[in-house]
Amino acid sequence: MKRREFLRVGIGALASLPVGACIQLTPGESTNVPSAPRAKKKRARIDYQTAQRTSGVCLNCSTVCGIVGYVVDGELRKVAGNPLDPNTAGTLCAKGQSSPTIASYADRLIYPLRRVGKRGEGLWKRITWEDALEELAQKIGAARAAGHPERVAVHVGRSRINDVITRFLNAIGSPVLLNHRALCSLNKRAANYATIGDQDWETVDAERTKYLLNFGANFYEAHQGAIHFLRRVVRGRFDNGAKLVTFDVRLSNTAGRSDEWHAPLPGSEGAIALAIGHVILRENLHDAAFLERWCNVSIEELREFYAPYTPEWAAEKSGLEATTLERLAREFAGCKPRCAAFTNRGSQAHYNGFGNDRAVVMLNALVGSLGQEGGYCWISGEVSATKFPPPEPVPPAPKLRTDLEDPPEYPLANHWQKMRVGQIVYAYLQERRAKLEVYLSYTLASPLTWPEGRSRTVDVLKDEELIPFHACSEVVYSETAHYADLLLPDATYTERWGLDGRNSYELQPYVLLRQPMTPPPGEARSFADVLIQVGKRLGPEVAPYFDFADHEAFVRAQCAKVPQGSYASGFDRLKAEGAWVESEKPKAYATFERALKPDELEGSTTDPATGIVRKKNAKGVEEAIGLVVGGVARAGFKTPSRRFEVFSAIVKTAAAKVGVPDDGFPRYVAIPAHEAMTDERLHLVTFKWNVHTQGRTAPQKYLTEIVHSNPLWIHPSAAEPRGIRTGDAVELTTFRPLGQTYQPTGAELGKAVVRAFVTEGIHPRVVALSNSLGNAFGGRIATARNASREEHAGLGEGADDPDLERGIWWDAARGGSGAGFNINAILPIQPTPVTGMQAWYDTVCTLRRV
Amino acid sequence: MTSPRYAMAFDLERCTGCHACSVACKVENEVPLGHYRTKVYYQDTGRFPKVHRSFLPVVCMQCADAPCMKACPTGSIQRGEDGIVRIDQGSCDATGACVSACPYGALYVDPGHQVADKCDFCSHRLEAGLEPACVETCPGETIVFGDAADPESKISRFLARHRDELVALKPEKGASPQVLYRGDARALEAKVPEGRNHAPESYEIETWSARAPEQGQGGAEVQR
Ligand code: SF4
Ligand code: SF4
Ligand code: SF4
Repeated sequence: MKRREFLRVGIGALASLPVGACIQLTPGESTNVPSAPRAKKKRARIDYQTAQRTSGVCLNCSTVCGIVGYVVDGELRKVAGNPLDPNTAGTLCAKGQSSPTIASYADRLIYPLRRVGKRGEGLWKRITWEDALEELAQKIGAARAAGHPERVAVHVGRSRINDVITRFLNAIGSPVLLNHRALCSLNKRAANYATIGDQDWETVDAERTKYLLNFGANFYEAHQGAIHFLRRVVRGRFDNGAKLVTFDVRLSNTAGRSDEWHAPLPGSEGAIALAIGHVILRENLHDAAFLERWCNVSIEELREFYAPYTPEWAAEKSGLEATTLERLAREFAGCKPRCAAFTNRGSQAHYNGFGNDRAVVMLNALVGSLGQEGGYCWISGEVSATKFPPPEPVPPAPKLRTDLEDPPEYPLANHWQKMRVGQIVYAYLQERRAKLEVYLSYTLASPLTWPEGRSRTVDVLKDEELIPFHACSEVVYSETAHYADLLLPDATYTERWGLDGRNSYELQPYVLLRQPMTPPPGEARSFADVLIQVGKRLGPEVAPYFDFADHEAFVRAQCAKVPQGSYASGFDRLKAEGAWVESEKPKAYATFERALKPDELEGSTTDPATGIVRKKNAKGVEEAIGLVVGGVARAGFKTPSRRFEVFSAIVKTAAAKVGVPDDGFPRYVAIPAHEAMTDERLHLVTFKWNVHTQGRTAPQKYLTEIVHSNPLWIHPSAAEPRGIRTGDAVELTTFRPLGQTYQPTGAELGKAVVRAFVTEGIHPRVVALSNSLGNAFGGRIATARNASREEHAGLGEGADDPDLERGIWWDAARGGSGAGFNINAILPIQPTPVTGMQAWYDTVCTLRRV
Repeated sequence: MTSPRYAMAFDLERCTGCHACSVACKVENEVPLGHYRTKVYYQDTGRFPKVHRSFLPVVCMQCADAPCMKACPTGSIQRGEDGIVRIDQGSCDATGACVSACPYGALYVDPGHQVADKCDFCSHRLEAGLEPACVETCPGETIVFGDAADPESKISRFLARHRDELVALKPEKGASPQVLYRGDARALEAKVPEGRNHAPESYEIETWSARAPEQGQGGAEVQR
């Protein structure tokens, strides 16, 4: 469609766009959009006596804190923490506090839109929901009719409605639920599963601890469970005298506030942990009783395994002093069992990250802090279908598999949990290893936060042969939305339903209810409701699974077993209080020691050789339920041996399958791309800020006011020889990885020009750039552009926000530092061997001043 | 009934630099972009690998001898019996004399509403029996607040326990600030502007370094 014709269609701000009329939404391209009348608001403080108070759940990050919203005149004016959330006790982070600005953002999407013109051209026509739902049903129905339900994929980021999405995909017969777990935390989770088996995420009892060894977690800013953990670390440190030691290549807020910060070479965390273990055993600081009772290898075997990993060896790998590692080992073990060693992306997002993380978890076993007060504990945070049953009938999971959701190169990605390998999705589509007809994206932040994002990912998103039909559910006009064919305006987390929760640091189960605090604006509608409505249209094989009104009805059914307390039902209780805590349950300390009850033991058999107790489950399949230890049948660990596993047969078998040498022990593996590094090359890592999450916080004005640009952190000793000073433009060149990963050629990948920030707060061999800025879409705040709705597609409804017209002081056109750089375009896709985690922090680069 | 006497203190070792206090404040009080009632400053000190980061959250110091009050030509600023310095928005003529007088960058003139504004310990929340927005949300339990006239209040107990460790910012200004800090607050006080509201550019990462700004350092991008 030619631009002139398009304009003749007659244009209005989206708020006044009639059905059938068109609009141009590419940032900076839109013209002739009349502004909605701006009512000058009177200054009015919130009247808490009359404001309507509704509880809900934050989703500005994956920590999912309980919140309460205050609504005045139909507008969500304020969000506070729900004091009944056991994890937060009513506190919130900056992102949580920013929640109302998502709902009231003047640049929101409010009508369903269908693409006109070419994909990625930004021309849209307003359609009705009836049209949108019909089109979705027709496309999905066609794939099913052709015998290819697996050609329908849903790709989500932080969705928190996977119960509805999985039901939808199961109902239509597709296994292809793609996510971003491998871009986030796959190796950390895999390491916990391989060793402990019970849970994928630890719940360190930080409030009661004496010593914390932190391998690359930045929980002062951006951890899953961030403020849940953070609050307790602060209490542990300043009310209980705990010490915090952090290993990180960059001075994060966590590192900068730790009692000790150590900056090792990237990827050497496993070497450090192994050396600390070596010292603990060498100096007999280990907990022999625990190890003998619960470890799946003997202390002699442990000594043998740890023997080569001397502090001197680790010093060479990490660049830290051997004496430092010895001292830390003594201090850590000296606090046993009130001590914990834990990880996050700094240690796991490496080629050797799975081993790194296992080596760290093992430290807790060595000193016997597993499950102890002040130690390394765990509890499920899952909203389980047993406790919260979805409406009947429940569709069975399909038996199909595809390379897209289960790539055979990474056999452990889906072994314990369907974590997938999200970063290879676009590459595999390009290689035609899987075919798609319908691609539904939701909360995805692709290409923005994807490796090879604004490069390969965009190529694939634009290719109508590889992705014939793309429907995107979004709150704002994001970069993902820009490459869609159908735009489904989403409701924010303060406008929709859901049950949610996390591992509780009080070590007791709880659940939170997300409910609408206000209705969504315009015709915006939650994606869960969209799926339910499409499901109803998919004929007699699918529709019966969606025989309930809407997402609210689904959630109400899930609450059937919630005790009603003094309310009419469990659902009403959650609506009123927002949280239900099972406070009568014992705290989940040392769950492996629990003696099995007679009813659990009934019908079980015990293997005389191993002591493993087995029993048939509800489906008639024999499974391990415990272990006889000290003459008593106990729950044990949920590993194959029911013990804490240093040696893992699962890992050994999986590695053998794909030709990766591995004897089942978490031996240190050198990173091939780092081994081959010359002196002039540097390590390039990325990071998150405390006020931002991946791609979804940039449109929030008070957060982006704090952090909007992202210069490249570089140490003076790396900057000076290159003639680089703060503020200089520098050209980064990145290279592909080496070893057993995707496209391991070591070849040049791409270049970008960024600005330098010379700082003492980074390892001299490392440069760092945050991963979440550089937005080209997302409205005026995200793109740092002051404009009236006349100049910039004004998408929302109601009065415009004067801040968006002239308050963006960081707008580059005004001399500000702008919206930052998006570096992901030139970061290679590099899944880690066997597991498939994205090795974000292995990238090698060169740097020069331009 | 005697009036409460509100007081606040920051226990800086607990501060995580999370900005929850300042975002909570901006949402609560609809503070326009580029203007601040509260702000959190960052400062890095030391040389690799011995580098440390400090934070300094600031609010209106509710000065007992408030320069803003003395400077206001219309007498619109008053210190209440409860210890809170408030602006009467009805009589404020928005000339900004108070902004120039404040040693702590605490005041701004709202460009839309054309009235001076500043932290008043969220007085509307206190009236509803709630804590100030920053206090309520602070994950570090850094901000201690309450009625100093009540010996059992959190703030009274905190003040009693840490009496000798507490400092005020810029005491030499003679304003008798009533908001106190435990920790290295004075090492960062030079970042807090005088005679103008907190500068938006002080959020830029280039301002974190405590080293004397070299050429090109100290917000090069902002000055561009
Ligand atoms: S930690 Fe995450 S979920 Fe909790 S308040 Fe902050 S953004 Fe919301
Ligand atoms: S800090 Fe500034 S605004 Fe607050 S009372 Fe003192 S002089 Fe007035
Ligand atoms: S909310 Fe509390 S911890 Fe966060 S920056 Fe403010 S004072 Fe510090």
